[in-house]
Amino acid sequence: MQYLYLIVKADYLQRTRSYYFLITLAVTVFMAYSFIPAQNASYTTLSASGYKGAYNSAWVGYVSGIMTTVLLSYLGFVLVNSGIKKDIETEVGLIIATTPISNFKYLLGKQLSNYLVLLTIVAITLVVSIGVFFYRGTGYPFILSNFLLPYLFFAVPALFVVAALAVVGEVFLGKRNILQFIAYFTLCGICMAMINNTNTQSEGIFDPFGLSLISKSITHYINTHFGENIKSVSFGFIFNGQKSYKLFEWQGLNWSTLFIISRLIWVGLGLLLVYISSLFFHRFDLKQSSSIKRRKESPLDVVTTKPVSASMGLNRATLPPLTFNYGIYSFVKTELLLLMRQGNKWLWLLNAGLWIAMCFTPLNIAYAYLLPILLFLQVGRWSELATKEKTNRVHYFAYASYKPLQRLLTAQILSGTILAIGLSFPIIVRCLLLGDSYAVINIINGAIFVVLLAVALGIMSGGKKMFEIFFFLLTYSVVNRMPFTDYLGSLPHPHMGFFMLVVLGLNMVLLALSLITRSYQARHL
Amino acid sequence: MPLTITNLNKQYNSQKIALSNYSLTINKGVLGLLGPNGAGKSTLMKIIATISKPSGGNLLLDGVDIVQNPNTIRKVLGYLPQDFGVYPNLNAYEFLTYIAAMKGLGGKALRKRIELLLEGVNLTADAKRPIGTYSGGMKQRIGIAQALLNDPKVLIFDEPTVGLDPEERMRFRQLIADLAQDCIVILSSHIVSDIETIADEVAIMQDGKLITHGPQYEIIQQAEGKIFEVLLDYAALNDFKQQYKVIDTARQADQIKVRYIATQPHVAASSISVNATLEDAYLFLTQSNK
Repeated sequence: MQYLYLIVKADYLQRTRSYYFLITLAVTVFMAYSFIPAQNASYTTLSASGYKGAYNSAWVGYVSGIMTTVLLSYLGFVLVNSGIKKDIETEVGLIIATTPISNFKYLLGKQLSNYLVLLTIVAITLVVSIGVFFYRGTGYPFILSNFLLPYLFFAVPALFVVAALAVVGEVFLGKRNILQFIAYFTLCGICMAMINNTNTQSEGIFDPFGLSLISKSITHYINTHFGENIKSVSFGFIFNGQKSYKLFEWQGLNWSTLFIISRLIWVGLGLLLVYISSLFFHRFDLKQSSSIKRRKESPLDVVTTKPVSASMGLNRATLPPLTFNYGIYSFVKTELLLLMRQGNKWLWLLNAGLWIAMCFTPLNIAYAYLLPILLFLQVGRWSELATKEKTNRVHYFAYASYKPLQRLLTAQILSGTILAIGLSFPIIVRCLLLGDSYAVINIINGAIFVVLLAVALGIMSGGKKMFEIFFFLLTYSVVNRMPFTDYLGSLPHPHMGFFMLVVLGLNMVLLALSLITRSYQARHL
Repeated sequence: MPLTITNLNKQYNSQKIALSNYSLTINKGVLGLLGPNGAGKSTLMKIIATISKPSGGNLLLDGVDIVQNPNTIRKVLGYLPQDFGVYPNLNAYEFLTYIAAMKGLGGKALRKRIELLLEGVNLTADAKRPIGTYSGGMKQRIGIAQALLNDPKVLIFDEPTVGLDPEERMRFRQLIADLAQDCIVILSSHIVSDIETIADEVAIMQDGKLITHGPQYEIIQQAEGKIFEVLLDYAALNDFKQQYKVIDTARQADQIKVRYIATQPHVAASSISVNATLEDAYLFLTQSNK
């Protein structure tokens, strides 16, 4: 037990001592603050058919608790699903594999450190929510339990399962990040659908988030006190202008023993998932598994490796003369090749399916939903655009090459843009046929925005995660029709010309940031 | 095309000085860089390769300031870093084509050039396989091939023989000797015998400073008369180590032969002065500068 604690502690410290984690915490503070909007804000986070709770301890505590639980259940997976991958990349895994630690204890250590990272974020949102309660200052008494209990019974067990699922994803899908994301978000979607369908279920034991319990309590309160017949509540960042709400004083939940026991069952499920994963864990024997796979693919490949005895028989006199070409065509070609080969090739089937669907589905659906989703599915490709040199330690060659900024970075941005526009092609053509030139410009602007955002965040953070999380949030917001995140211009905007200039301006800023930062990095290794 | 380094400094922060007033002129031939870990060898090579900026001093290639005009050297540079990587999804041919693009190479002859280089490093048979499946030695050979792509005039090899088997190392040394006929080769290695075999000149570094520089025989000469061998009982070895810097030990029947550095030999009758090697000179010089 003692050494499990030491492993978890070391892993936790390794993850949290990073620039990236600091940014995550800063975003957490902002998000936690936004969970309880000001009275005159143009959005709300929890409402029921024109009703909204007064900002007493119960409302602030439970709303921030449930928002934290649901959002972190989605985002937390992306945040922590690289613990094992890090051990593979740093080759620490090879050392771990030779120690007596069992697969279960190793994976449990990873799961617990995932969990600690998520709990750190939870603790911060809890503190911020208390701060917001006093800041909003509506005069209601402060009741600590109304803040602690929703976090304890919603966030703590739910995130235990999320931390376990991150381990499951890494064990079974390895480096296939996109497949992990698809599988996880599909699971979350199914879960949410089940919660919505079992809204009348009394104890909410099958609801990992606790959302149905809150929904049921609030609708019951409103229906009883105001004689309404409301079936459900709206949840999330809901933008509807400065709509006026009828206020009610909700006092929180009465926790049932069955519900509390059900949280323990969820924790047990998390442990069970880790245990099952440990039975299939590769224990860093990756070379063997890949060579087995290779043998299946091409039996001849293995025997083509000659002994190295005849190496370095290089005669420079026989080499053809050099021809110089300082253009970027070769770069663009290889960058496109790298983009295409990144990730699982089967994902292209999904891409192709969505691409074809964009040709035939109603334009507003294709533009507003399918296109942002298709662009998001390439998140692994975008995030690698300007980070792969560092990840693969090719940056020594890249930075020492002739005019790396003007040639290599330009080629990376260009190849990313070609792919993004290629993916958007069906919508562009359909808009062109309709004569909607604004939409065409917006899509091209948006495609360039995705590429430049990936490049800028990748260069500045030195890794892929920041962009992946940011792009997930962005896509989530876009498909939920939040106007200020509409980078593709699929929503109506009162001043379309101004909107286009804003996105163009953002692109210019991102490009400038990328160039300045990369220029510095290239000379300061 | 001389490379002139004058009063080069590199300071990372107030505590960490990587290079201090480093001056050296490097001409055609092989310069071997020797020094303990943290001596500043890799920093010096990174600065010459233009991927790190010095805090002060000058670096001129054929009279052109390469700190201000890095693209001057980049056109004629071949660089093999110590811990480089590859794109695992590309095969050897694609990877070299990519690096060739970085170096500004093109034309119809490029394909032939890459094929010959791959043949030269014995990777033709594996050229179509993703590099991700290569062994460490094969990746190292890809690294050597990429450094030679542009017919470089300045070649920088940081620990180039890591991962190569003895026969590959031998052939690599021959290749370096061939290349050094018409270009500058800067080579760092912890394996002193590699430097001893290849280098025309040697520069020994310690704590960011240049301790000494010159042809091998001059360096070795500095340690002549300071290297001794003595036969000792096993029991006496620990005490002996307290008094002398031991370079090497060799087990014999019931005694142990000890090679050591000293200004005066040990009193034992069996203590004899022996000819110094580059390794002896390196250890003597770094020891006496501590």
